[in-house]
Amino acid sequence: MKIEKYFHNSIYIWKIFSIILPISNGKTKYLTTADDDAGEGSRKNTLTPALCDCRREQKPNFESMACVYIPVQNSEEEVRVALDQLPRDATDILDILKAEQAPLDLWLIIAREYFKQGKVEQFRQILEEGSSPEIDEYYADVRYERIAILNALGAYFSYLGKIETKQKEKEDHFILATKYYNKASRIDMHEPSTWVGKGQLLLAKGDVDQAFSAFKIVLDGDRDNVPALLGHACVEFNRGKYSNSLEIYKRVLQVYPECPAAVRLGIGLCRYKLGQFERAKQAFERVLQLDPENVEALVALGIVDLQSNEASGIRGAMEKMQRAFDVYPYCATALNYLANHFFFTGQHFLVEQLTETALAATSHGSTRAHSYYNLARSYHSKGDYEKAGLYYMASVKEVNKPQEFILPFYGLGQVQLKLGDFKSSLSNFEKVLEVYPENCETLKAVAHIYLQLNQPTKAHEALKKAVRIDPRDPEAFLDLGELLISTDSGAALDAFKTARNLLKKANEEVSIELLNNIGVIHFERGEFELAQQTFKEALGDGIWVKLIDSEAQSDSFRKVLHQPMDASLAARMYKDMQLFHNLEKNGISVELPWDKITTLSNLARLFEQLHKTETASILYRLILFKFPEYVDAYLRLAAIAKARNNVPLSIELIRDALEVDDKNPDALCMLGDLELKNDDWVKAKDTFRAAKDASNGKDSYATLCLGNWNYFAAVRSEKRAPKLEATHLEKAKELYTKVLVEHPANMYAANGAGVVLAEKGQFDIAKELFTQVQEAASGSVFVQMPDVWINLAHVHFAQGNFPLAIKMYQNCLRKFYYNTDSQILLYLARTHYEAEQWQDCKKTLLKAIHLAPSNYTLRFDTGVTLQKFSASTLQKTKRTVDEVRATVAELKNAVRLFSQLSAASNLQIHGFDEKKIETHVGYCKHLLEAAKVHCDAAELEDQQNRHRLELARQAAIREEESRLAEEQKKVKLEKRKQEDELKKVMQQEQHLERIKEHWKSSSGSKRKDRGQEDEEGGQGGERRRRKSSNKKRKRDKKPMDDDQQDYEETNYYQPDNQTNDNDNDNPQDLLAAAGLEDSDADDDAGGAPSSNTGRRIRGWPESEEDEPGKRQPSSSPVRDNSAEMQLSDGE
Amino acid sequence: MKLAWLRSLETSHQDCVWACTWVPATDKSPGLLLTGSLDETVKLWNPEDLSLVRTNTGHCLGVVSVAAHPSGKIAASASMDSFVRVFDVESNNTIATLEAPPSEVWQMQFDPRGTTLAVAGGSSASVKLWDTAEWKLVATLSIPRPEGSKPSDKGNNKKFVLSVAWSPNGRQLACGSMDGSISVFDVQRAKFLHHLDGHTMPVRSLAYSPLDPRVLVSGSDDERIHMYDAEGKTLFSSMSGHSSWVLSVDVSPDGAAIASGSSDRTVKLWDPKMRAAVQTMTNHTDQVWGVKFEGGGGGVRGCLLASVSDDKSISLYNYS
Repeated sequence: MKIEKYFHNSIYIWKIFSIILPISNGKTKYLTTADDDAGEGSRKNTLTPALCDCRREQKPNFESMACVYIPVQNSEEEVRVALDQLPRDATDILDILKAEQAPLDLWLIIAREYFKQGKVEQFRQILEEGSSPEIDEYYADVRYERIAILNALGAYFSYLGKIETKQKEKEDHFILATKYYNKASRIDMHEPSTWVGKGQLLLAKGDVDQAFSAFKIVLDGDRDNVPALLGHACVEFNRGKYSNSLEIYKRVLQVYPECPAAVRLGIGLCRYKLGQFERAKQAFERVLQLDPENVEALVALGIVDLQSNEASGIRGAMEKMQRAFDVYPYCATALNYLANHFFFTGQHFLVEQLTETALAATSHGSTRAHSYYNLARSYHSKGDYEKAGLYYMASVKEVNKPQEFILPFYGLGQVQLKLGDFKSSLSNFEKVLEVYPENCETLKAVAHIYLQLNQPTKAHEALKKAVRIDPRDPEAFLDLGELLISTDSGAALDAFKTARNLLKKANEEVSIELLNNIGVIHFERGEFELAQQTFKEALGDGIWVKLIDSEAQSDSFRKVLHQPMDASLAARMYKDMQLFHNLEKNGISVELPWDKITTLSNLARLFEQLHKTETASILYRLILFKFPEYVDAYLRLAAIAKARNNVPLSIELIRDALEVDDKNPDALCMLGDLELKNDDWVKAKDTFRAAKDASNGKDSYATLCLGNWNYFAAVRSEKRAPKLEATHLEKAKELYTKVLVEHPANMYAANGAGVVLAEKGQFDIAKELFTQVQEAASGSVFVQMPDVWINLAHVHFAQGNFPLAIKMYQNCLRKFYYNTDSQILLYLARTHYEAEQWQDCKKTLLKAIHLAPSNYTLRFDTGVTLQKFSASTLQKTKRTVDEVRATVAELKNAVRLFSQLSAASNLQIHGFDEKKIETHVGYCKHLLEAAKVHCDAAELEDQQNRHRLELARQAAIREEESRLAEEQKKVKLEKRKQEDELKKVMQQEQHLERIKEHWKSSSGSKRKDRGQEDEEGGQGGERRRRKSSNKKRKRDKKPMDDDQQDYEETNYYQPDNQTNDNDNDNPQDLLAAAGLEDSDADDDAGGAPSSNTGRRIRGWPESEEDEPGKRQPSSSPVRDNSAEMQLSDGE
Repeated sequence: MKLAWLRSLETSHQDCVWACTWVPATDKSPGLLLTGSLDETVKLWNPEDLSLVRTNTGHCLGVVSVAAHPSGKIAASASMDSFVRVFDVESNNTIATLEAPPSEVWQMQFDPRGTTLAVAGGSSASVKLWDTAEWKLVATLSIPRPEGSKPSDKGNNKKFVLSVAWSPNGRQLACGSMDGSISVFDVQRAKFLHHLDGHTMPVRSLAYSPLDPRVLVSGSDDERIHMYDAEGKTLFSSMSGHSSWVLSVDVSPDGAAIASGSSDRTVKLWDPKMRAAVQTMTNHTDQVWGVKFEGGGGGVRGCLLASVSDDKSISLYNYS
């Protein structure tokens, strides 16, 4: 089973949702919108009112007139023209003005009136007529009025140019405006109002510096010129020097306290920009006191209220917007804000209406961008991504620079992400990041896209940044964790845990996905207890709690759950659903919400790991009971059955899985494995092929299985067909290499490649590979690769490094198999055998028999080992009686083992050749006989030795006795001598001499003993001769090396099957069945060892030449025997 | 229900210890522990201090099983060379040497009355019954061949008999095979009754509950311990928890607990009611081949449990 399967795909779907969500609840957005729009709105508003003001400033007194009187030429009469009843056709009034040669100021008044009434055409007609060359000629001396007319025209065209969006026409308007101002200047260079107008024009063109110099010219002449001051303030405002601007506005107020409310608007805007919201508010309120219907002030006040971000403030703001809307329904800014408001209250219909009106009412780019944005957002939240995308796009088009209004870029990015256009989406989000490099939402979105575009490093960077910026955002940690799962599980775990803690702190629900992922990582890191806790927390309460924990079961529940099952059905236990039916029958509801399947199956997998397999099987069955299409559960149950060696049930479960999804590569691969286990080679190959096809060759596991198949096929047959073998090996290599190319880190493929290399005798490279795989394999709980240890040991063995091979086999046995694998014990025994460690070899084989009592190969091998041991002991030059006795005992054992095997072969219990066994029996019996001679000889020697010792001991006793007697004598003598002391000193000395002589003679007897030994020198000679034969034997070792080579080629490499519950036994059983194992043992028994024994036998007559000739015939049949054996081995 | 570790003897044998049983107390001697090992010896121990009472030699190729007569006077040991040696516990005199070639010898058990010794016969797919008075082979309980299989089939190998157990009333006998099946026999009629399926790998150990002749507990290489109704042919429960083969099981004298020894180096105590392990002992460092409650003593005061392992050691616990 592959690990990846346990991460559920649904996590991603959920994730996309989480990115979309912020829009609809949009907390962050609300703030930025308000903030940003206030800036935008104010900047755009300052210019327009300032322009109007200027015109009003110029002739403030005209305002109050309801009608004008055109004096009739050359008379006292006047023509009264009611200003609100101007004729539609301006030509009429022009005729009067011309005919009566009315003063130019009247022309201006009437034109203005037309303008006010929105009759722009008439306004232009009158003014253009008023600035015509004839008028210039006629009124040549009326300079001021002429200038005023020209300036009015200039202002008009600057305004047109300013609002025009098309570049070319815009320029045309500005050119016209410039023309009029220049004309005015030609009339009077120093007319301040002209300069003011020029300044306005330059401002409109965005040429702030030149505008400033224009205003400065005026102010240099008259530092209290109000319009110029206002212009200057505007320049400062545009330059972002709000405090300067504010100072100037203040001066205007000082100079001209009765100035219109609009000046106070400027003050308010400056204060707003300076962040003095309270005072800005006061200023706007003052404006409204003076002019209750000032739309700009209402809007600005609304924006300031919004800024407060309090419910009451927002409500107030909306009221003001509403009022502005009532006063002037076409104020786009107000409309936008209202739309914004209704968006958040969810009244999408209103949003659309308002924004559409706003779009119709304004041609101002930024405002239109806002409107489009509102519209797009409305569709976005309704899920109409196509339309939303279009409107976002429209909004983006209205925005000149992203930093002016970034939100539509963000929205567009989101919609494109949703529609799967990652590249465009990414570029939009990147624009957002250029403006707001620290926006977490965007960073997360970008990271997500990078992930989709398969650039995990960049995704990681983005998320890390997001997390650094906002360490309190659980979502960012969640994303980060998910990203890190595959690369750095520790860091991923930390991220997930942080996310969980943050969510808990915020009292938000911790999602089951998050807990599941934490659990999986704990699981992977081998922290099973924590994993179990986490999974249980994720699952919460449900029927599974009772199924898992026997303590939580009530007696009645337990009774229902554990109804005895007919033993004949027990083999099919993992398909049993009766249990749940029983529970339901007893009124216990069996429910499983779909979102808990993944976690439940993970928990079951954990129980498997903890060997609570029965509990795991119940959970898997619970899943299948509710969701029979959950393939993974079938496969896990099949794996459990397979681990229990229940192949039929396992196959049945896989068939169930295939019924749900007949192209599931995992199921197919498992099926192939099982078929291989059933020795169904052809079927297995087809199944593996199907698996490979089903995954379009992308599933490397299927490819690997095919590779393994080829390898097994290459080495399976006993009768070796070198050609076939080579083809299969080549194919296997090709398949392994293919996997390695796609996944250079695939250990199983590397292992397979190593095996093929070793098969070809390239041991050093193979060893290198195996060592690397072994290192890589240690670490994860899911990766268990005992095979690579075995393979490494095989290579050491093949290279003659027996101690290391032994160590490796032992470690592998202990680490992975709890010392229960008889196959590895056999490898170990074989190594001991080669290393001539007979006792170890025998013990190892006995252990193996104890583990696998029905494996007769092991008994045979034990017999061979005992035989070899005996033969080699008898061959030794120096051996004790005990050794010889042990040899005899072992030979008897060998004979017994072989005769048992021989007897058993009658019953056809195993597949050995009876003849072969008989040969071994015969040989052992012969050895036994021969050994008897040795034994007798040794025993004789032993007896002689003992006899000798006895004699020596008796002699010693006698000596002691005589010595004692002597001593007594001496004492007596001494007594006598003491008496005679004085008599004969000389005699005394002689006596002493005699005693000395006596001692000398006793040491002489010892010398005699030694002489006896020398008499047996013949034996020593024999020994020497044996030594020489021993040397021969050593020389013989060389061919044995060839033997090893031979052995290596024959077999044993064991490629892995990726599944933990690898079917070791399968190919090995096969080998065993094919008699490969015993053929190896045989190689030795028949090959090198028998040639040794042959040599040894030849040595016998030499060594025992002095023996009676009748021994000779008994040794010759042995020679025949050994020849026979070699023959039989050749089979 | 609890196990308390009492004492261990580190190197009780020269090599892996593969078998253990309790020799009941006699008038002359207290209850003794009998162990058999790969080192080809059988040893008798005094449970008080795990002091060695005697070492019996004479086996070849590793002692795989030991059995004690209910009288406490006779015991048997079997080795891989397929000889059973019956000896006098007190004197170590050989009473009989049994063999029934070509059948191997695996587990053995005396029947509760002590009249018969049952020996699991390996590849002969049968249990041999020996009369304890004359030491004669009195019956061979053969597992019937599965229907339809030819006598020449090698498949019979799968019925290789490893383990054997007498029901407490001596009427029934169960044996476990390499293929995971358990066969139940009626001893008096020498008749095969039925199979108990459920295991799928070798059943190395069987034990009847001393109180209920119906309840049979089995341990298998498939890492499970099963509780069967041996008469009703039903599986009560299948308990998992060992992480490797279950090599040995025994039921406590009070019938309330099951002890198991496993290749995973642990000894576990199970509560059959909860169907779960209640305790895990980890004092062994290699496969635990034998666990055995000291019989007879039963009841309130509890009894001893012995375990033997490949790590050459013996451990004793107090069960209460």
